[in-house]
Formats: sequence, C-alpha cells, structure tokens
Amino acid sequence: MKITRLIFIVICLCGISYASSEDLKTIENNNTLENHDTNSSSFEEEFGDTNKSAVFDPFEKYNRAMTTFNDKLYVNVIDPVARGYSKVVPEGGRVAVGNFINNLYYPVRFSNNVLQFKFKNASKETGRFIVNSTFGIGGFFDIAKTNLGWEESDEDLGQTLGFYGFPEGPHIVWPFLGPSNLRDTMGFVGDTYLNPLSNTKEHSINYKIPQNKLQEAGIYSYEKVNKASLHLGEYESIKKDAIDLYPFLRDAYTQHRKEQIKE
Amino acid sequence: MKNGIKFILMALLLSMPAFAFKQNDIESGMKGKIDKVLVVLKKKESNTQKGQQIISMMDPVFDYNLMSKLTLGSNTWSSITPNQQKEFMKIFVAKLKQSYVDKLDLYHNQNVLYKGVKPYQNGRLQLQTELSGKGETYKINYNFYNSNGNWLIYDVVLDGVSIVQTYRQQFAGILRDKTFDQLLVQLKTKK
Repeated sequence: MKITRLIFIVICLCGISYASSEDLKTIENNNTLENHDTNSSSFEEEFGDTNKSAVFDPFEKYNRAMTTFNDKLYVNVIDPVARGYSKVVPEGGRVAVGNFINNLYYPVRFSNNVLQFKFKNASKETGRFIVNSTFGIGGFFDIAKTNLGWEESDEDLGQTLGFYGFPEGPHIVWPFLGPSNLRDTMGFVGDTYLNPLSNTKEHSINYKIPQNKLQEAGIYSYEKVNKASLHLGEYESIKKDAIDLYPFLRDAYTQHRKEQIKE
Repeated sequence: MKNGIKFILMALLLSMPAFAFKQNDIESGMKGKIDKVLVVLKKKESNTQKGQQIISMMDPVFDYNLMSKLTLGSNTWSSITPNQQKEFMKIFVAKLKQSYVDKLDLYHNQNVLYKGVKPYQNGRLQLQTELSGKGETYKINYNFYNSNGNWLIYDVVLDGVSIVQTYRQQFAGILRDKTFDQLLVQLKTKK
C-alpha cells in the first residue's frame, strides 16, 4: 500500500525533483555553518521565489468579485444577525449547538480518516461519536474531549485527495461557501453524499436530515450564524492584516489547507 | 549597493537584542514571556496600554529587520534605496505591532499549551504552542533562527498560515504592477 502511494507521489514530484536535489545540497551546506544563519539565500528558499510570475489564478477576476460579495454578505448580514443572536442565546447554548452540528459530521470525518489510513484516528472518531451521542446528550456536549481528552481529527475529502498527491488546481471562491480550489470543491461535493446535513436527492442515505435543498440551505445558514456568533470580531480583525483582501484570503486558505493535509 | 550592505550590517548590529534566548532557553524563556503576557491581558486597562506592555516584553525576541526584509524578498530589498528600506521598515513594523494589539480583543481566557521546540527548515527551530478556548484550538508556532548564538523569531505561523509568507505574497502581487513608492503609500493609507 505504502509503495503505491510513494510511486504516486514520486510521479507527482517529478517536475520539481531538480529543485529538491538543490535543497539537499543547501541543507548540507547549512550544516557546516551552524553558528551563522544570517545568510539570506536560505531564508529566500524557505519562503519561495517572489520573482516568479503571478500565482496560477485563471479565475482571479471572478474570484475578486465573489470575495467582495462574500465580504459584504458577512459584514452586512451574517455579522449583525450573529450579534443579535448572541445577545439572545447565551454562549453555553451556542457552544452546545455547535457541538451538536459538529457531531453529525462524524461519517465524513470517519470515512476520510479511513481513506488516509489513519485508523487510530478513525476509531477515535467512532468513540467520540458514541460517547458524545449518549453521555453527551445527543452531541450537545463534547465530553469525549473535555473528560476523555479525545481530540477531533477533522478530515475531509479535499484533504484525502491532497493526501494522495492530487494537485489543488486553480483557486475558486464560491458564493456563501467562501474560498476553495478545484480539488477541495470536488472533495466538498463528494463529502455531501456522506454528510447528514446535506440533501443529495435520490442518492440520499436514510440518515439525511434535510428533506430538500431549501431545508439544507436553512441548516447551513444557521450553522454559519451560530459559528460566527462564537467568533465575533475575528474576521474584521484578520481583515485588517490584508493590504489587498483577495490575495490575502487566497494565500491564507492555501497555506492553511497545506498544513491540514500535512498532518 | 555598498550603502545597502552597510545599512543591512548596521541594522543587524542594532537589532542584536540584549535578551534573546540561547537554544536551550527557547521554550522556558518563551513560556515565561507568554505567561507574563497572559497576566497583562487579564488587567483592566485599555487595549493600547496592554498592547504597549506586551510589545515591550516581546520586542527583544523578534527580529523585525529580518521580517521586513523577508516580506519584501531579497530581490526587492536590494533594489530599493536605504532610505526606502528604512521607511518601509518603520511603517511595516508599526503595522505588525498594531495588528498584534488589535488581536488582543479576541482573547477570552484561552489556555496556552506548550508542545516543545522542534527542528525546522535549514537547522532553524520552531516552538509549537496551542491556544485553546471555546471548543476550538489554534496552533501558534514561533519560528526561530540562530543569530550568532542568540535565537530570534523571524516568523509566526498561525494554523499553518505564516505571517511573513502572507505579506510576502501580497507585496509581490502589488509590486507586479505598481512601483515601490506606490506600495508604501498603500501601506500607509490602509487602516
């Protein structure tokens, strides 16, 4: 199993194998001058070339427009609604709702842990689901984490595809859903078949909660608002770090996903 | 060019802080500092006051000069005049600090967990920490490099997102169709 994966990765990396052999050389060089790390070229290497032509981004124009739309939607709709909601429902209640929804994503997390051969995490996920659904009163309390220290292993199909060396493809910003890329979009669509909170019409497994697309959108919006109510002000604060919002969010998304796949 | 090198040397010399860490002190030293930061955060003062205290505590372990240089990239850095370098550094470092102070609003009694110092790229080191609050955990990693025996922070990575890298990409994008002076103006006017 491991060997096929390795071959797959090797093929994918073929294009940059030259660069990595260069890396090895510089690592050797660096070992010889341990005490002196003010040499800027090795730093340049860590962060990549700035002179290379622009990031591959064929949908930039559309993505920029959609980023503005999502930004306006968040600032003018989601944020005020979440603020009002947070005044009515106490924090404990909102955390519980968040836990409840999160618990329902168990089939997605479980399958993707299995697909990535993370059997230990997959069984931990099952344990979390059983404990939280019973002793955690239908998932409202994450006692598997608070009492047993079983951390969630958040895996999705986008990460699974990345794990098998699938390239991320062009960046795509979706209305309402936010930043994504071709790989993660495919993953997202694939995950909806397992996700109990989405409606896949005639392909639906029996445990699906929404009966139609409207209900699905309702649940999704509520989930978003609930989440936003627990993170009020964060988006605005992060946004201040952006000199240009679209590339900032694009880059942060790409880096964050890379890290998730690496884990 | 000669002036540029002189300036960089000067900047490096001036940035030699008195209280940087030795390799073995990174975790305990940072733990001490972060614990003090948490104490300040719990004080009932304005964010600006708290921010100033925290920044003066953390200043000696950050290499702001290197961070400024890395966010522009060495090609751009060496292509601008020492005056432009100085001005960029002033604006950029102020922005970094301000952004840090703004983030204080987001602190709600989270706990910091220390995951130890791990080897990082090219013999550098990474202190890994986790901030856990309302159900969610954020990974905050501090990247250190060896500056003649003193270990200094040159990047902070939040859930996989590097501060230096994010600015670097933005600056590179802007400089693709604008001049450096226009970038400076954009940096200054952006609140």
